[in-house]
Amino acid sequence: MSAREPEFAIADTCFLIDWARYRYRDVLFKLFKTVFVPETILREVKSENTIAWIASNLAKGHLTLYTETADVVSEATSIVEASKRSPHLISVELPEAVCLAVGRRRGYVVLTENRGLILFSSISSDYRDVAIWRALEVIAMASLKELLEIECSDLEARFKEYEEETLISS
Amino acid sequence: MRFLELNSADLDEVLKRYAEEEAEAREVRRRYADWDYIRKQPPRIRAALEYYVESGDIRRACLIAGMDLEDFRELLRRANMPVVV
Repeated sequence: MSAREPEFAIADTCFLIDWARYRYRDVLFKLFKTVFVPETILREVKSENTIAWIASNLAKGHLTLYTETADVVSEATSIVEASKRSPHLISVELPEAVCLAVGRRRGYVVLTENRGLILFSSISSDYRDVAIWRALEVIAMASLKELLEIECSDLEARFKEYEEETLISS
Repeated sequence: MRFLELNSADLDEVLKRYAEEEAEAREVRRRYADWDYIRKQPPRIRAALEYYVESGDIRRACLIAGMDLEDFRELLRRANMPVVV
């Protein structure tokens, strides 16, 4: 993470579909001015709860749709191909790759729970400096900034709470 | 696209750490999974769930199951399987 406070983030499907179930989900908008959602990601979301949360925050301006440009898609396609060529990696698919490409180009924090993307960025010299946060990093950062009404000593309990709320079947 | 040099200390270190984390994550998935539920699923779904337990690769597991991501995530919840990252 850079020394400057990140103002913008871009979220992938794995992150959104779990995060939307978390009781303190709106803390995300205290951490970031805007969270971008690529159109390819929005097309993958379909549950009522997640769509309702996304739509309501698009209306409030907390979330913003990101329309992929041809050069972003081209870079994302290169990421997908590179991930599939390497035997070390879990393959990365286009929706997550778009987030990584935009994260690199614009300096946005990439919000993801995708192991393939996390590993890819850690071994690619071109993407190593992109800030990638999972839900746990978001919760930890929100706690550090005292945006969640908890004591820091309760952080483990907060992680557990997130795990339980996102694991419960609807 | 540039990758860390193969056989470089950096790459070895990242891959070693990843392998250790993945082994731990796989163990968590195996331990928490509701195996009775998994065994009752149709062959394609069962294969996808078992693949996910072993690999943690949700995108490929979706392809095996023939499901989209959000439906497969819901299936993981029903199988009591945490998404470990």
